[in-house]
Parts: sequence; C-alpha cells; structure tokens
Amino acid sequence: MLTTAKNWFCERTGFDRVWDALFERRVPEAKGPVSWLFTLGSASMFVFSVQVVTGALLAMNYVPSPDHAYDSVRFIGSSVMFGGFIRGLHHFGASFMVVLVVLHMLRTYFMGAYKYPREGTWIVGVALLLVVIGFGFTGYLLPWDQKAYWATAVGTNIAGQTPFVGSMVSKILKGGAEMGAPTLTRFYALHVLVLPAIVLILMGLHLFLVVWHGISQPPERSRRGGAKGGNHRG
Amino acid sequence: MAENSERAPARDEDVLSRRTFLAYASVLFGSAIAFVLGSTGLSYFVSPAFMKEDEDWVDVGKASDIRPGSPVKVDFVARKRDAWVVTEKRSSAWISTADGKEFTVFDPRCTHLGCPYRWDQEKQQFLCPCHAGVFAADGIVVSGPPPRPLDRYAVKIAAGRLLIQPMPSRKAA
Repeated sequence: MLTTAKNWFCERTGFDRVWDALFERRVPEAKGPVSWLFTLGSASMFVFSVQVVTGALLAMNYVPSPDHAYDSVRFIGSSVMFGGFIRGLHHFGASFMVVLVVLHMLRTYFMGAYKYPREGTWIVGVALLLVVIGFGFTGYLLPWDQKAYWATAVGTNIAGQTPFVGSMVSKILKGGAEMGAPTLTRFYALHVLVLPAIVLILMGLHLFLVVWHGISQPPERSRRGGAKGGNHRG
Repeated sequence: MAENSERAPARDEDVLSRRTFLAYASVLFGSAIAFVLGSTGLSYFVSPAFMKEDEDWVDVGKASDIRPGSPVKVDFVARKRDAWVVTEKRSSAWISTADGKEFTVFDPRCTHLGCPYRWDQEKQQFLCPCHAGVFAADGIVVSGPPPRPLDRYAVKIAAGRLLIQPMPSRKAA
C-alpha cells in the first residue's frame, strides 16, 4: 500500500531521483574531526530554516513603526506563549548563522574547494554570505531599542563615508536624511521580503552547483609538505 | 564503531551498519528538533485562543460618592489595552443606586442612534434630545424610537472603589 503510493508519487514527480541526487550522492571520504567540516553548509541551511519558521512567527506580532516596534517586541516576550523562546531562537540563530557561514567559507577557502570547476559555487556562496550579513544588519534594527537604533546610526554613517556616493547611499538606506519611520519600514521590508527572496534563489543555485559538481576531495599532504589534489570529482 | 564496520563489513542482519545507525540517529535527532520547534511554534501560533481576556476594569471613584436617588453622570478615562497598543479614551457613564450597595451603570449612549442622553430631574426619566427617546430610571424604554433598554456596564466594588467595565454587554441588560 505504502509502496504503491510511493511509486505513484515517484513516477509522477521523479522524486526518488531527486532524493538520490541529494542524499545518495557520492561524497569524498574524510576521516576524523575533518569530516565535521563538511557539515557546515548543511548546518547553515538548517539554521536558516529555523530562522524562517521563527521569523514568520515573530512577524505575526511585530509592527515596523517607531511608536509600536519596541512595545510589540516586548509584547512578544511578555504576553505570547513561548514568545520569549521563539524570539530567543531567532536572536541567537541569527548570530549562529553568521558564525556558520563564515566557518563554511573558511573551510572552502583553506581546502581550496573553490577552484576549477567550482568557482560558480564559490561566487554564489560569497553572495550568500553578503545576504546573510544583510539579514543581520537589517534585523538588528527591528527591536528599535537603544542598541538597535545606535548600531544602525553607526552602520548608515559608515555607508555615508563612501567616496562620492556616500551621502546618497546613506539616504537610500535610511529612506531619508534622518533615521526614523521610513528607515524602520525599509529595513523590515528588506529583512522579510527582499532578502528572503534573494537568499532562496541563491541557495537553490548554490545547492544545484554543489550537487552538479560533487564535493571536492579534502587536500592531501604531499611528501614535501605542500597540499595537493582537491579537484577530484567526488 | 566506524572503524570496525569498515574493516569487517558485517552482513549479518543483527549488526547495525554505520550507515543505518546514522540514518536512525538523523531521524531521531531530527524528530526531537522538529518536536521542540514544532510544539513551541504551534503554541505561539494558537496562543490567542487560550489567552485570558483583559478585563479592563476602570476605577470611577468612591462607591460612597454615589448617593441613592438620582442617577449621576461620571466622567472617566478608560485605558484600553489592545496587545501592544494602549489607548486612552475620555468617556462617561450614568450610575444609579437604590441602597448604596447595588449599583447600576448605563452606557451613556442612547440605544437608538448613540446620542448622549440626559437625566430629567422633574420627570425622573432619561431623555434623549435627538429623537425624543425616553427611558425610565431603570433603563426601560418609555417612549420614542429606541429599540431596547439602555445598555449596561458590568460593575463591582473593590475596597470601597467603584469599578466598571465600559463595554456594553447585552447580557447585563
């Protein structure tokens, strides 16, 4: 019965082949602690999915407006069932996400896994890193407390130091000459609409390329001490 | 565990292969994570169904200030809490008592079209100026267009203070 249902589904969707491509693909043999380094990408994706779930829940009670943002965040923590827990997951998940993607990039860099033919994966990955940092920057403002406000003041002022276009960039970020209501709505829209759309497209591309190229071999130490290899298709 | 299974690949069905073990472990930990996130997330989502409603009792002064006899119009500021939004609204109510113990509080709006009515001391009736609605001292319609008696607010006394809930509840009427 179950097999019949599964066959019916797989014949119409090819899902078994998708599953094989994702989970039954060949991966390089890595032993010991080094093998854990290959989990950083999946870990980032897992934390991202937690951010999606907790973020959607938080958005149900959040108002991106200077007169209600702070109170609505406090309301989540004080009055909504498990509100503090969900917000805590989103808060610490955000920090952890940045840590994970940076470690993921360092792994890729130090193992030389970005080399031919995987430059595309690397470039998309760098774009993903920037998007993650964008998530962090825009999300940091949303609680609209002192820390959020002044951190964003500093951030937009740094953008303002860009030669020639600085003041324009700063104004575009802030939605005006001064930080205020438009800044908050702008950051909120970026945080929950624009960046998620971009990140999903890039993640799909990144995953496709990872599956398409296979994962590179971890470099081996040669007799002379340098690293060799790293480009064998998995 | 890993070393052993690689050196001597056990084909016995009793022996758990590394691959199967990891698959089980993934499902186990995955389910645990999904359970924690799912149950708390779901609780968060459905919590409005289980939240206690704010009772919003408003203190309108000392109970002993309301004397038996003529109804008294009391002005007050109602703080209404709507999740993270707190609004203050100036409002009023007509309060009457027969014995200084039991109090009746009327919504200050006529039940016809919401006009504020007044107390006519001579006739001992509430008169609405808009369309000549007339209510008796107990809120029953005497004459005119009002479709039902005056709406009443819930009322209670705590430590000598008169507390009312300035929301019309048909039940109390």
